[in-house]
Amino acid sequence: MVDVTDGLNASQRRAVVATEGHLLVAAGPGTGKTMTIVRRCALLLGQGFGPEEILAVTFTNRAAREMRERMRAFLGPEAARLFVGTLHLLGLKIMRAAGETVGLCTRDEQVRLLRSVTASSRAALQLAERISRVKNLVEVPDPETTRLLETYRGLLRAQGLYDFDDLIAVPTRMLEAGRVPAAYAGRFKHIIVDEYQDISPVQQKLLGQLVSKGARICAVGDSDQAIYAFRGADVRNFLCFATDFPGAATVALTENYRSTGMIVRAACSVVRNNRQRLEKELYAVREEGTPITVCSVPDERAEAETVVREIEARMGPSSHFMLDRAKAAVDFSDRSSSFADFAVLYRTNGQARVFKEAFMERGIPFQAVGGKGPSRRKALIEELRGQLDTMPDRQDMDAFWRGLREKGSFPDEEWGLLHNLALAYQDLSPRDALGEVINELTLFTTADDFDARAEAVALMTLHAAKGLEFKCVFVAGVEEGLIPFTSGPEGTDMEEERRLFFVGMTRARDELFLLHARRRFLFGRQASGLPSPFLAEIPRQLVRQVSVADAIKKKGGTQMGLFS
Amino acid sequence: MPEGIWKWAQLKGLTVVGTGDFTHPAWFRELTEKLEPTGNGLFQLKRAHRPDEGVPASCKAEVFFLLSVEISCIYRKNGRTRKVHCLIFVPDLASAARLNLALSRIGNIVSDGRPILGLDARELLKITLDASPDALFIPAHAWTPHFSVFGAASGFDSMEECFEDLTTSIYAIETGLSSDPSMNWRLSALDRISLISNSDAHSPAKMAREANLFGTDIAYQAIVGAIKTRNDFLGTVEFFPEEGKYHYDGHRQCNVSCSPRETMGHHYCCPACGKRMTIGVAHRVELLSDRDQGFRPGAALPFRSAIPLAEILAEVGGVGAASKVVQEAYMRLLTVLGNELAILLEMPLADIERAASPLAAEAIGRMRRGEVHIRPGYDGEYGRIKIFEDGERAEIGGQGRLL
Repeated sequence: MVDVTDGLNASQRRAVVATEGHLLVAAGPGTGKTMTIVRRCALLLGQGFGPEEILAVTFTNRAAREMRERMRAFLGPEAARLFVGTLHLLGLKIMRAAGETVGLCTRDEQVRLLRSVTASSRAALQLAERISRVKNLVEVPDPETTRLLETYRGLLRAQGLYDFDDLIAVPTRMLEAGRVPAAYAGRFKHIIVDEYQDISPVQQKLLGQLVSKGARICAVGDSDQAIYAFRGADVRNFLCFATDFPGAATVALTENYRSTGMIVRAACSVVRNNRQRLEKELYAVREEGTPITVCSVPDERAEAETVVREIEARMGPSSHFMLDRAKAAVDFSDRSSSFADFAVLYRTNGQARVFKEAFMERGIPFQAVGGKGPSRRKALIEELRGQLDTMPDRQDMDAFWRGLREKGSFPDEEWGLLHNLALAYQDLSPRDALGEVINELTLFTTADDFDARAEAVALMTLHAAKGLEFKCVFVAGVEEGLIPFTSGPEGTDMEEERRLFFVGMTRARDELFLLHARRRFLFGRQASGLPSPFLAEIPRQLVRQVSVADAIKKKGGTQMGLFS
Repeated sequence: MPEGIWKWAQLKGLTVVGTGDFTHPAWFRELTEKLEPTGNGLFQLKRAHRPDEGVPASCKAEVFFLLSVEISCIYRKNGRTRKVHCLIFVPDLASAARLNLALSRIGNIVSDGRPILGLDARELLKITLDASPDALFIPAHAWTPHFSVFGAASGFDSMEECFEDLTTSIYAIETGLSSDPSMNWRLSALDRISLISNSDAHSPAKMAREANLFGTDIAYQAIVGAIKTRNDFLGTVEFFPEEGKYHYDGHRQCNVSCSPRETMGHHYCCPACGKRMTIGVAHRVELLSDRDQGFRPGAALPFRSAIPLAEILAEVGGVGAASKVVQEAYMRLLTVLGNELAILLEMPLADIERAASPLAAEAIGRMRRGEVHIRPGYDGEYGRIKIFEDGERAEIGGQGRLL
């Protein structure tokens, strides 16, 4: 049998072997926390705990998948018997074990239900958010909300549905009342919770209930990466761990294996200005690397072009056309890059559009994560569904598609897709063909991302980037008003915004670009154009300052590249 | 426009041409509107769209279209960036549509220009065959340094490293402008592969710089069958490889051109500036070959090397190939004699002499016998062809007269 602490550094080893009591593992970014969790599980199994006595909680389903794979790689088939998943999944299983038939109400359905008791869709959405905060114990409901909440509960019950937050709230109440299904009574001896800094008060309560039945809890997380306050998470849960679970020990993982020294030091010098944090100093195991590039650009169009140019320079030419242009002389590719090595991170989804356009224009494959899908495609599907029932058996399909097109109710870019769909199913009967087209369109709408086989530049918000890493990261819009974001409904939590920026910076392995535009329209208004105050917190010796000049209006002219 | 391809195919003497770019939504729609299937996997331009003018009676012929697209795969494999262009033929619109749908899930095929996918070329081959088992998948211009399966900058050392278990689904490669079949014969690994030669549909006037000759029926399955089996595949028309943009090694910024041997002497760095040189096709063939120069496998198909007629006329007249004089002479010659490939390859020299000039006939004769001087192309710079030595023109047939 392999020694489960093989290849671990001293603090990782301490975090693995401290299994007698409660434990808080303060793990900075890139410090090997997933490996530490896997090894801890291996040690527990070696100590004689059964796989079903161990609970490993992750923050997202994606994280659960990754964790399961890592467990399987190290533990072998036995790993499948550990519970690895989100608290919501655990809650669902507990409810089902208690004999509940749980139908899950999606966010869309939730808003649709609430629409019947509110004046507008907007109000329904706001009420849904308020109800979520109440159920997460973040907000105490006023009498009006309490009344609406009761009505909403009635509507859910009537259809035998539960919403997402119920998956935590209901099992918590069951455990509090001592109604624990036999399969879960005193089952877990060891609970390991990843991303503990992002759990909400009600999740904390559920964990407390599970621990009170005789389990040891090991919370892994980073107070500097708490970024979900808007969802009811509270970094204080992390800071108060020792009070909540008396006798808890603390181990800090501070050796960063991911990023260069420059990146680690720059990120730390920013987050150090927060007060609500567990003091710890991250240091890089890797080489110093190159300085961070702070780049001032005229506007968001130039920002996107700058990013495109930097990616092209690293990938080498992507077409013969580019080779033929004089600028193609800028090629310092290491000849080992993939488009998947790059990420563009931004504070708001609204910033994605100009990047998508720039990537489209230059033919760079990209993948935008999250954000709104093409809503007009939904309208198209609705329209086609409406036609399905009345579709005559002998419809001339060419004429049918032409007719739809002439009506002009759909955007031009949808026609390429529709044209291909129509051709692909031209041999079927009209009704079957239309049915298949609707199915395919639905698939295109619901698939949350592209085919996993494709390598593409990632476009996503800072929030969505949590837990990911890239060779080269561009943080866009590092400006006053965006980072920190000052237009939210709840006011600005400077510390949370600083953590978010810290998360973004620490996604980068080799290269980090922080871009800010001198002109930008934000929510229909001209923004200040000032760089983010967080930039001033980065020591100057870690930064290479670059400025892209305003474009001189010249037809077909290209701006100078950073390295040309 | 399909009309432009239709016109130039006749001027050049091509019977079947690729449509190119069927993944592009606007182009694909135009194709489906203007072309009609001939029922055998090929297409024709609808009568209503055939322009009345532009093709002299001497060149008028039927033209058939074959659905084709070239896709650029840029991805990382075995720790290196790979950039491989792939050519795909499909037999019908439904197959093209299915492939388009599959690819639009992989990435953006909407943007203008050649679609770039962050997709392993092996995966593209798999997706292609899933969309249409009758599709033919061909590594494009297989030797060019930057974008090909054997390219020096971002290719592979073997077909198997690129396509793995699916290598057996590769039946042909494009030799590209900078290599000809005799260079490819030096690799025993290519003995089972057909060597085909196509050229660009993006600028119709540049079509038929290279071409394939078939003795089959004019039908998709027959043509694809001939490529796969080499039965009724009569051979290819080639560029002189030295004229191609990447025959030699070099560094264009410094005007440095090197033979493979010289490059090795310079340790692959530009002797002027020290940056890495672009390694050309001759060099790669030298590195990957396992046979001596001049080896000819038993199953090899014949080929003929040609120079575009406009370039020959430019040489004859001592003017630029894009000049108005040359364009007019080109059209006059075609009007009298027939299409360009016929003039270059088949027409008796006496007829050419009568229609044009003794100098033009001599130039084409020398081209047919391979008696030309070429300064090889390198790092994106076309090779420079010289048919006549200084002073020879006057000796043979008068000064600067084209026709």
